[in-house]
Amino acid sequence: MKTPTQVVRLIATLLLACCASIPAFGQNPRLQIKNLDKLSKKASEVVDVTLDESMLKLASRFMADEKDEDDAEAREIIKDLKGVYVKSFEFEKEGEYSEEDVEAIRSQLAAPGWTRVVGVRSKHDGDNAEVYLMTDSNTRNILGMAIIAADSESLTVVNLVGPIDIAKLSALEGKMGIPRMGLDKEKGKPSQKQAASHDEKK
Amino acid sequence: MKDLENELRKVLERREPPDGFAERVLAQLEPAPVPEPGWREALISLVRLPGLRWAAAGAVACLLLTLGALHYRRVQQERAAGEAAKAQVMQALRIASSKLNVTLKKVQETDRRLPRA
Repeated sequence: MKTPTQVVRLIATLLLACCASIPAFGQNPRLQIKNLDKLSKKASEVVDVTLDESMLKLASRFMADEKDEDDAEAREIIKDLKGVYVKSFEFEKEGEYSEEDVEAIRSQLAAPGWTRVVGVRSKHDGDNAEVYLMTDSNTRNILGMAIIAADSESLTVVNLVGPIDIAKLSALEGKMGIPRMGLDKEKGKPSQKQAASHDEKK
Repeated sequence: MKDLENELRKVLERREPPDGFAERVLAQLEPAPVPEPGWREALISLVRLPGLRWAAAGAVACLLLTLGALHYRRVQQERAAGEAAKAQVMQALRIASSKLNVTLKKVQETDRRLPRA
C-alpha cells in the first residue's frame, strides 16, 4: 500500500517524464522540400530521390553482395536511416532559382534541434554550402542531416533522416564514382565544435 | 359348445392361396428407390471418364502454370523495384557524400589560408 506522499511523487515523476519527452516528439528531421519541385521545369538536369524506410529496406536487400565493396559500404550507411530525400537541379543559366526557394528550406533548419555544423559562402563565385545536423536534445544522438549546396547554376538539397555516420558518408570519396577530394581526414570530420560557420571570402 | 369349436376350427383352418396370388402381390409392389449419388461419387464417376480425366489434369496444369507465372511476375516486379531503389540510394549517397566533401574541403582550404595565431 502506497502512502499519499509516494503517490504524489509517482505522479510527479510521470509528469516530468512526459514533459521531458515532448521536445523529442517535436524534433522532426524530415524537411519539406516539395516547394523545389517547381524548379524541375527550368532545370536542364534534375535528380529527385525520395526513399522512405520501406524503400530503404527493400534497397538493402539488393545490396546483399558481400563481395561488392560499394554495396557493403552503402548498406552500412543506410542501415538505420528512416528516409533519404534529395533534390538536385542543374540550370543552363543563372538566376533560375530564387533566394526564397532556399530560404524556405533554411527556415525549417532554424527549428529546435537543428545545428549548422558547417557553412561555406564564397562571395567570389556565389558558392554556398551548409551542413546541418539534428541531434537529440537528451542523448545527443544524430537524428538527421541536411545539406544545402547552391551556386549560381545549381541547387542541391539533401535530407537524410535517421542516425547517420558522417565520417562513413565522407569516406565514400573515391568510391561509387564520387570524386576524390583529397580531404585531410583528421580535419575533415565535422564536429559540434565546428558549428561556427566558415565564411569563405575570396 | 362343440358347435362353436367346430366353427372356429373351420374358420381358422389353413387354406392355400388361389393360383397366381403371389405374382399379383409382387406386381403391385413399387420398385425400391435407388439412392441418389453424392457429390463425391458424382465427381469420381466424372473423373473415371477418360476424356474428362485428361481435361481435369489439363485444367490443374493450367492453374499451376498461371500461379507460377503470377509469382514469377511478382518476383520480377519486386526485383525491379529493389534495383531501382538501390540505384536511387547509390545516387543519393553519391550526391550527399560529394557535396559534404566539397564543403569540408572548402573549410579545410579556408583554415589553411587563415594566419596561424
